[in-house]
Amino acid sequence: MSDAVIVESVRSPGGRYKKGGLASTRSDAYGIQVLKGLLARVPELDPADIDDLIVGCSFPECEQGMNLGRILAMGAGLPISVSGMTVNRFCSSGIQAIADATAKVRAGWSDVIIAGGCETMSHIPMGGSAMRPNPDWKFDGSMPNVYINMGNTAENVAMNHNVSREDQDKFGVESNRRAYEAIKAGKFKEEIIPIQAFKYAIKNGKRIRQTVTFDTDDGVRWPTTIEDLGKLKSPFKAGGVVTAGNASQMTDGAAFSLIMTAEKAKALKLKPIAKMTHYAVAGCMSEEMGVGPAYAIPKVLKLAGLTPKDIDVYEINEAFASQAIYSCRVVGIEDRYWAGDINPNGGAIALGHPLGCTGAKLTAQLLHELKRRGGKRGIVSMCIGGGMGAAGIYEML
Amino acid sequence: MSLKIKKAAVLGAGVMGAGIAAHLTNAGIECYLLDIIPFELTDADKKKGLTEKSPAWRNSFAANGLAGVTKSKPASFFTKKNASMVKIGNFEDNLNWLADVDWICEVVVENLKIKQDLFAKVEKVIKPTCIVSTNTSGIPIKDISAKFSANLKKHFLGTHFFNPPRYMKLMEIIPGVDTDKEIVDYMVKFSEETLGKGVVVCSDSPNFVGNRIGVFDMSNAARLMVDKKLKVDEVDAIVSKVIGRPGTALFGTMDLVGLDIGSHVAKNLYDAVPNDESREMFAPAPFLEKMLANKWLGNKTKQGYYKKTKDAKGKTVKLMLDIDTMEYVPAGKPKFDSVSAAKKKDGICESMKTVFNGEDKAGDYVREYLCKNFIYSANRVGEICDNIMSIDNAMKWGYNHQLGPFESWDAVGVKEAIEVMKKLKLKVPKKIEEMLKKGCESFYTIKADGKYYYDFEKKGYVKIDENSRIIILPSLKERNKIVKENASASLIDIGDGVVCLEFHTKMNSIDDGLTTMQAEACNIVEKDFVGMVVANHDPRAFSAGANVFQVLTAAQLGHWDLIEQGIESLQNGNMRMKYLSKPVVTAPAGMALGGGCEIAMHGARCLPNGESYMGLVEVGVGVIPAGGGCKELLVRLTEGIPDGIVEMGINLQYHMAKAFENIAMAKVSTSAAEAMELGYVRKTETINMSRDQQIYEAKQLVLSLAMAGYKPPKPALIPVMGENLRGFAEGIIMNMRYGNFISDYDLVVCRKIAQILSGGDCAEGTFVSEQEILDLEKEAFVSLCGEKKTQERIMYMLSSGKPLRN
Repeated sequence: MSDAVIVESVRSPGGRYKKGGLASTRSDAYGIQVLKGLLARVPELDPADIDDLIVGCSFPECEQGMNLGRILAMGAGLPISVSGMTVNRFCSSGIQAIADATAKVRAGWSDVIIAGGCETMSHIPMGGSAMRPNPDWKFDGSMPNVYINMGNTAENVAMNHNVSREDQDKFGVESNRRAYEAIKAGKFKEEIIPIQAFKYAIKNGKRIRQTVTFDTDDGVRWPTTIEDLGKLKSPFKAGGVVTAGNASQMTDGAAFSLIMTAEKAKALKLKPIAKMTHYAVAGCMSEEMGVGPAYAIPKVLKLAGLTPKDIDVYEINEAFASQAIYSCRVVGIEDRYWAGDINPNGGAIALGHPLGCTGAKLTAQLLHELKRRGGKRGIVSMCIGGGMGAAGIYEML
Repeated sequence: MSLKIKKAAVLGAGVMGAGIAAHLTNAGIECYLLDIIPFELTDADKKKGLTEKSPAWRNSFAANGLAGVTKSKPASFFTKKNASMVKIGNFEDNLNWLADVDWICEVVVENLKIKQDLFAKVEKVIKPTCIVSTNTSGIPIKDISAKFSANLKKHFLGTHFFNPPRYMKLMEIIPGVDTDKEIVDYMVKFSEETLGKGVVVCSDSPNFVGNRIGVFDMSNAARLMVDKKLKVDEVDAIVSKVIGRPGTALFGTMDLVGLDIGSHVAKNLYDAVPNDESREMFAPAPFLEKMLANKWLGNKTKQGYYKKTKDAKGKTVKLMLDIDTMEYVPAGKPKFDSVSAAKKKDGICESMKTVFNGEDKAGDYVREYLCKNFIYSANRVGEICDNIMSIDNAMKWGYNHQLGPFESWDAVGVKEAIEVMKKLKLKVPKKIEEMLKKGCESFYTIKADGKYYYDFEKKGYVKIDENSRIIILPSLKERNKIVKENASASLIDIGDGVVCLEFHTKMNSIDDGLTTMQAEACNIVEKDFVGMVVANHDPRAFSAGANVFQVLTAAQLGHWDLIEQGIESLQNGNMRMKYLSKPVVTAPAGMALGGGCEIAMHGARCLPNGESYMGLVEVGVGVIPAGGGCKELLVRLTEGIPDGIVEMGINLQYHMAKAFENIAMAKVSTSAAEAMELGYVRKTETINMSRDQQIYEAKQLVLSLAMAGYKPPKPALIPVMGENLRGFAEGIIMNMRYGNFISDYDLVVCRKIAQILSGGDCAEGTFVSEQEILDLEKEAFVSLCGEKKTQERIMYMLSSGKPLRN
């Protein structure tokens, strides 16, 4: 069996929902740019050697419909021999793509695969543009409510597992602070592919499309205080605790990693960064889907025969502060958050959560952070709508 | 010269200026809103990166005015979208814009020199035909126009709006000596028909009519309080609805307007009328001066005559000012025998008379208060305006009095009041004694050919001009124009082959009598008339909806067949109206809720008054719209979908979500424009601005439809989402339930709405008939009536007037 190694891992900056840097740009357009940026960093690779492109996407429709995988491959100018596919496991789609690529390469079915995720939330509403819950499905508690609004699941986690509003807001402030510091220190520069984004304007009475360079995550809110966040109201529940200040931002973005056999990397004289050693997905209650990482992280650690201590850095998606905090508590690593080993450069509350892209985006963030620290192992994990959690272990090479 | 105002400019973007601009857009007129450039760049401006060249800074006064009026409550705009019809700028950079406007209304600070300087600049850029007016409330028109060119003087006049411009009916028009009569006539007509105002033409005399009489009225009331040793709450119990004053009463109104504004107007008057026999009345009372010094200006400073605080338990307590000690003390609800007796009387005339003749302190106060008002008003006729009607109308439209002073005088009795005046040693105006000598014992009288008023100059009754554009149903009834009537509604011949279906139950609620008359009206119109208008004069409600008491009684007795019949008759009546071979124009104004909204939606056309508050609010009492409201809303929201698009697979969820949201959240429009946005009125309809002329305009619409060979619409086929809508709605409402935004019972009602809107058990994209939706409405309504919680909701609404969330 060949080992599957990651030789490059990059991402676009995260663009704020409707107002941010990617709000007027089609997701396929920036997805293609991230792919091209990735390939430009690996000139040794002949694109004809790429076997497949796997793209995670949570709402693969409209501009990201029609098999985004194949469309991005062709859009990026890859030879027609390169196949493409789109995978959807909601918020874990991006890491699922990397896991599928890794498995395929290890199985010996492919030599080289590009895998990641691409999502626009500005253009496609949560739930998709034509959500059709099954009318025969009764939501009286007799069946899991797989259609439940994500905000309500976060309220449920907070209520059922006693995560206080104050803890959530504190977490929200910290996420923004870390992201602000990281951007200020230029930590994301290496992993980010700047995007030539569209901007529509009126010039001399004519509507025109301009192109502007977008190169920095634009969702960070800093300075912000617990008092500021305390004033926000929950849109999900009367008197609720989950607010815009302690929930992830809706964001646009794309991220990809280049995966190949260790042999191929060696032949091309490429230095592998890391490899995904294990990946696991676990189911949980739909109504409190945010607890997913609390099941997935122990599951993947067990697979690997490791303990939480063996992991140097975690990127646990901050879909909501309530679920991120609770998941850390269950795994017994809450102190590691405050020690700076979990989401060291801020999480989705500040940097955004572009759904299907998130797993690939966090992978890029994690690998570059491990490199900076000289760390050995890291975990990317997230909760998944419908009631699941995913977690993948990366080992630096 | 044919005059037409298509575009206007308002100069001065204060509360009043911006409010006028907003109302112009309500009337469909685009306008510029200009103000001065700020005096200097503040640190805050600099922080924002503004310089003295930034348009954002240069236009900031106008921008702030527009922003304020966009947020004002009650709303100044019919819909916030209208704000885009106001273009902001400043007097330095944008005066050239004025070159293409038809009307300029100046509303800058009340300073003669500033106004003159501004007009001098304006005069240079405007077109010669431009109408120019000032909204001054205190500066003589002749002073402002003193230096104008001859042409501008011809085009210049005073147009005095009352605040807030959207809601206050009074518009004073003050012609200058040189103003073209044609311009004055046009502005009167324009103000009435296009802006929906009630016009009083005034002489160019201090404070014009409304504020001259109004300031006297208030000063009079306040001074009498001191003389009679009454308290603030006592005066407000007396100078209240029982004598035709607004619900906020005297001091409540002063607090609302602001004491600074009131005293500014009074002071201006004091300086301007050295020869007024009651001039001293306008000098500020000592307690008022103290209040001004303390900045106790009313609601805007959170204290004036009243102040609200919270007690130890957090309960709101209303305090009032004790003007002797200048301290706030708890306000009570003072009782007076005559006031209590008046409340039991029918009609304002009887009520006013009862207090006037009262033998208690209230009667004593009111006699002197009203008599002084009467005398002052009588003395002003000829000086500030031509006739008594101008004063009566000004007080009704500008001060919300139910009766003007001369109407009040008639109500208490002209002779009776004179006796009181004599007892109080007040000087009875000669012209009144003259009038009695002529044998005229009231100011107004009705003769066989119409209404007359007493004219002091002509010394006799003069017939009141009838505006042919104002159709008054009661006077038509007096002239035997009733075609058919019962206790709930009447069918009245309004001429030229058109009838008007008028409701007249309490709040025009829908009962059996009303639906019976609706059906009969359709039969009669079909046979004998050109078409029908559905309208009435009720100031509050076109119709507030079904009589839920009848529904509740039937439900409690288990008379489901009766409920079903009631629903069927409203459904059939509405469908009959919609498909009548003759055109039916509905003309809602005020509330058109529940069944009232449904009736308004079932005409061939609708001519809503701007102030139309429409909504399908049935969920508040635990039922759903079943008179065709769900059905017609579906028709309206989907009729714009081009043919063939449904078959191509259009996603109907947004259309359906809007219908669902309107009904489930009981959305009510705050104007006709919003009713269009919600889908209750088609966007192609015209909004009526003048309530007085609404029936006339509706009649003209009926006639024009008839002349153009009216044909009823083809039966609608409604595209629905079938069962998929139920799944879709279930997802939404379950989330709302999870979030505790709705109750378990709301869930039950919401599911019924989804059931109706789904069109039944069918596939997405199926077309269903109107009758299919009507049947679903009926089935849902009857089943909800059988639910205990619906009955509880109805009971609660009947007893408290508020919806119950059970």
